[in-house]
Amino acid sequence: MKLSMILSQLSTGMAGTISIFVLTLVFSLPLGLLIAFGRMSKNRIVSGIFRLYISLMRGTPLMLQLMVVYFGPFYLFGMNIGKWRFPAIITGFALNYGAYFAEIYRSGIVSMDRGQYEAAKLLGYSKGQTFVRIILPQVVKRILPAITNEVITLVKDTSLAFSISYVEMFTIAKQIAAAKTTMVPFVAAGIFYYIFNFVVAWVMELLEKKFSYYH
Amino acid sequence: MKKKMVSILTAAFCASALLAGCGSADTAKTSASSAGAASSSADGTTTFTVGFDAEYPPYGYMDDETGDYTGFDLELAEAVCEIYGWKLVKTPINWDAKDTELNSGAIDCIWNGFTMNGREDDYTWSDPYVDNSQVMVVSENSGINSLSDLAGKTVGVQAASAALDLLQSEEDGGQKELADTFAALQQFPDYNNAFVELQAGSIDAVAMDIGVAKYQLESRGEGYKILDEHLNSEKYAIGFKKGNTELCDKVNEGLQQVLADGTFGKLAEKYGIADMVCLEKKGE
Repeated sequence: MKLSMILSQLSTGMAGTISIFVLTLVFSLPLGLLIAFGRMSKNRIVSGIFRLYISLMRGTPLMLQLMVVYFGPFYLFGMNIGKWRFPAIITGFALNYGAYFAEIYRSGIVSMDRGQYEAAKLLGYSKGQTFVRIILPQVVKRILPAITNEVITLVKDTSLAFSISYVEMFTIAKQIAAAKTTMVPFVAAGIFYYIFNFVVAWVMELLEKKFSYYH
Repeated sequence: MKKKMVSILTAAFCASALLAGCGSADTAKTSASSAGAASSSADGTTTFTVGFDAEYPPYGYMDDETGDYTGFDLELAEAVCEIYGWKLVKTPINWDAKDTELNSGAIDCIWNGFTMNGREDDYTWSDPYVDNSQVMVVSENSGINSLSDLAGKTVGVQAASAALDLLQSEEDGGQKELADTFAALQQFPDYNNAFVELQAGSIDAVAMDIGVAKYQLESRGEGYKILDEHLNSEKYAIGFKKGNTELCDKVNEGLQQVLADGTFGKLAEKYGIADMVCLEKKGE
């Protein structure tokens, strides 16, 4: 009885966790690709800017970045930030994860053999065609395991959203724990995270299998 | 083969772009409905956004039957809102960020066992409504019976709490001198952590508000006791953004009404803090 109540409460919180997870991926995966291009730009100013961006995003805690994104508009411009909480979370997460994804994309792109570009050029492919049709598909295959790592970390990082008072699953676990003076909700929360990540890992494995041609 | 792959990828990108589209629309909707922090503006239904620590029973916590937030302070806020026809929005906040939440307008007030002593000049305060003391909770068989027994012991205290302020205050009535006799002052995020550490013996005492202490001891059963010697006596009030006297006055009036019609007394009874409330009748 009591456990079932805990579980149903946690499932409501799960909605918050999942919406952070999905929206962050939706925005950060494409953003990462753009950042990777910027980072690899031949223009030294552009690549320098993106280098700094990645360095800042990876070098400071996500919790701090969330607070900057959320409270920044108020402190800098005196804006009312009442409606900004959830968008701020997605923005903060996407900016942070975009930096990590960018480096993963970059690792995949630079790992491609020079010869492939030369061969493509010989066959009359333009630069854009070479990237989209030849390089990118291989890159995706190569970086999937690294992406899986990040995605799983993201599931667990969602609990950081409470640093700016957004109530997701782990926050609810803490609240039930406080009201009932018991640690049981944390065990339940752990199981929720594990199941979530189990599904994520399973889906990513399916994707890997699907992409495992050319072998 | 190549073609198929490209189409899959294109499809994936289109899908993510689409998702991004409805994603942002969703975002706007959710945030609009969840966090209308407009204070006493007069457009139709006025919302009154209360910021509280949802891990602070009996003042504000989650009811595990319904999943709603409840507690003495929140029910009191509900009663005041009813008088004015306001819509109460209960926003659980990260206690460490309470000032920023309040100053930025994300919440209208902090109403949650909020100690006014020592913070008099930082907020616009309502009339105090609960008389509260800071106490020490120790294990029953620890042999600690007075504050002086705590010398050389490790004492736990919630981060950003009134108890912590008190133990660090060098002003009159502050307990910095006492805290200096401790082996260590250990800060923790919530009372569950503190009590487990107390049980496990890694800390010897926990400083907290007496109302919280009573709730904790009642739900945890035997094994703990509250030291008879209190650290101080202090009062709870509702904290508004400094200068927001208009809203504060209205809430004060509302409190007087719920006191007069008996709701206040009933709620205090319900949450077992009847001997601690101190809201006084004004006027006459």
